[in-house]
Amino acid sequence: MLHLWLSGLGGLLQARELLFLAIGMTIGLFFGAIPGIGGATALALLTPLTYGLDPFTALALAGGVMGAVPMGGSISAILLNAPGSAPSAATCLDGHPLAQQGKAGLALGAAASANAIGGIIGTISVLAILPIAKDLVLLFGPPELFLLAVLGLIIVATASRGKMLRGLIAGALGLMIAFIGYNDVTGVLRFTAGIAYLWDGVHLVPALIGLFAVAEMIDLSVKGGAITRDAKTVGIVSVTSGLIETFRHWRTVLRGSLIGTVVGAIPGVGGTVASFLSYSLTVQASKDPESFGKGNIQGVIAPEAAINAKDCSCLIPTLAFGIPGGVEMAVFMGLLVLHGMQPGPLMLIDHQVEIYGLIWALTGACVLASLLGLLVAHPLSRITLIDSQILVPVVTAVALVGSYAVDRNIGNVVVTAVFGILGYLMIRFDYPRLTMVVALVLGSAAERNFHQTTMMSDGNLSIYLHRNVCLVLLAGIVVLLIAPLVRGRRK
Amino acid sequence: MKTRVTRRSFVLTAGPAGLLLAADSDFPVRNIDFIIPKSPGGGFDNLVRVIAPALEKYLPRKVNVVPDNIPAGGGGKGIGQLYRARPDGYTIGAVDLPGSFILQEKQNGAGFDLNKITWLCAMGQPEYFCLAVGAHSPLKTFDNLKALSGTRPIKFTSSGPEGTAYAATVVGANILGLRTRLITGYKGSSDFVVGAIRGDGDAVIAPVTSIRPLEQSRTIRILATFEPHGSFPGVPDATTLGKAELSRILLDRLVGAPPGLPAAVKSTLSAAFAKSMADPRTVGLAKKFDVDLAPNSADLAAARVRESAAFFGQWKKVLS
Repeated sequence: MLHLWLSGLGGLLQARELLFLAIGMTIGLFFGAIPGIGGATALALLTPLTYGLDPFTALALAGGVMGAVPMGGSISAILLNAPGSAPSAATCLDGHPLAQQGKAGLALGAAASANAIGGIIGTISVLAILPIAKDLVLLFGPPELFLLAVLGLIIVATASRGKMLRGLIAGALGLMIAFIGYNDVTGVLRFTAGIAYLWDGVHLVPALIGLFAVAEMIDLSVKGGAITRDAKTVGIVSVTSGLIETFRHWRTVLRGSLIGTVVGAIPGVGGTVASFLSYSLTVQASKDPESFGKGNIQGVIAPEAAINAKDCSCLIPTLAFGIPGGVEMAVFMGLLVLHGMQPGPLMLIDHQVEIYGLIWALTGACVLASLLGLLVAHPLSRITLIDSQILVPVVTAVALVGSYAVDRNIGNVVVTAVFGILGYLMIRFDYPRLTMVVALVLGSAAERNFHQTTMMSDGNLSIYLHRNVCLVLLAGIVVLLIAPLVRGRRK
Repeated sequence: MKTRVTRRSFVLTAGPAGLLLAADSDFPVRNIDFIIPKSPGGGFDNLVRVIAPALEKYLPRKVNVVPDNIPAGGGGKGIGQLYRARPDGYTIGAVDLPGSFILQEKQNGAGFDLNKITWLCAMGQPEYFCLAVGAHSPLKTFDNLKALSGTRPIKFTSSGPEGTAYAATVVGANILGLRTRLITGYKGSSDFVVGAIRGDGDAVIAPVTSIRPLEQSRTIRILATFEPHGSFPGVPDATTLGKAELSRILLDRLVGAPPGLPAAVKSTLSAAFAKSMADPRTVGLAKKFDVDLAPNSADLAAARVRESAAFFGQWKKVLS
């Protein structure tokens, strides 16, 4: 085993591979920071250019892109409330309030260090579980995925303390929106109003760009001024303190990394679930849950650690069975195919050195991108001082163009605009956007897996009691439902 | 009756026609959108991504061929988009049969007619299906499966009710005389095959190319193959099962363009596809996915459409 790790590392530590890794990292960081563009677009544009490269070099390039995208996404999420990609939306929740308080440097420092540590923990976990990767993937069938979705929804519901009714309303609205489109199980189109764009449902990334970036810009233009008014604080609060905060909250980093690793390894779940699950569980575990959403540094650390840990582990279902965990992985699979590597069980046997090389490339890019992020955090944090008259039109234009670029569809721009208005109304009337986002992410998966479980068991719900992973998840659900009651009594 | 051709009417008719001809002879001058009406990651998607770079190489001018996954509506949206695109050669698309026939039947809203699409070529030979179970399944032989079918319906994992795999499962199980219940809703072939390995259902019917790598890694066990002469030693095939009809259940992966594609553009694209499918690197890559590419014509693709329509037309009632 060790010789394979070292062969992979040795293959990567060649001048040519390192050069392409650095190129990929720079591109990933840049593309990750632009809302909507993200890693999938970067990889899609680069894939044809790798045609003439040898497979290992192409993997170094792709690993560089994929490893650096999360850091880029965090920068725009914190500074502009504009998530570069869907998983980074969780970072907006506390990262941007910190930027508003003039603590963008602190948030960026914490994000970069949590990113790097999460990536390293993710790599170690994946290296350890790769030999049993196939068995791990097979543990999660429709019943387990349904309960995981329920768990996610409950965590969010319990996290919206103090405004439970508003949280439920936002969540219900999110679920209703998630059910729009083609039902994969029955083959029926629902709630599409004859609009072809809606056949595929409401696209998540344009919706998130609207809900966060555009809503924030509307809010900023109404209020006027800059994101933060305190130029002194921007200068004082250093990036180093963010770094220290990450080490101080090592439990949050560890929890986020483990959630990212496990969720990433489950086929078809994706990074958005990992980041929001990590965020919500951190709120749940905190002694001061009310401070989240207002600029709690743990609200930045938790999703960031999960996002990068997930990046490594989501290679498992992709490589072992050819099931991509998200759009970025799907495009990456196209690159593998172009270089004669067919994702599937045989790939884990035939291309082991390449796989380990890819894992090292991902980790290397993640750490290097984080270091670069730390270096540029201070100058970048000054973006928060730019006046809304300049910032609002620029960010709104980039957000709308980025939304269009997701799949070159004008419908995305409409979705972004509609969700922008909806997001602003939610800010204005204090409705939690977190519950809506999680419902949007998990709604259709919960429904599909429930249907499939029902078909598997002929409608017998006891199926959930006969599967070990289901029992663990059910226990988690019970604990989450009871914990707030117990806490309430103690108080 | 004499028809007077005025200068104005001449300019109005000959002008655009001339421009169109000029455009045809220049083709292509910009990127070509290659619609894939499936999710990324399956065999269908892989094949397009293998062929696209070769197509760029053999087109008369250097343009990009951009694969574009539009899986919505079971693929209906992608095929509908292809059908309604401007017939200028800049939008082409992959279409799988027989699934697309079911889509056409069920989704009137998708608004396409497969008989009117301009067919360009077939991507590889038509592909046979096989019936498999997870490696840890208690079902060891086809007879075990048959016996189980006597006691309860066999649960097959499959795509949505408008996919090619769904059609193959329903028709194949019918020919084999198996009672079935389908677990639908999986996103693509990788997904529903893994569903069967995991034990979500009893078995799966899927293209041989999707199953073979899993069989080689001993992740899955093949109980029957629909090939006339099986390529898996010891596994019953259509002939030994006495069900020759099984070998008519074929997956076709064709490439088409919108109706009314000018002949010159069609000829340019067909020729480029033919060269792509003879390109040694492309052939080698496709072979890794168990697909044998060979140059073929637009006529062959159109003939496959007619043949598939004739066979699956017989099963329309069962499929609907």
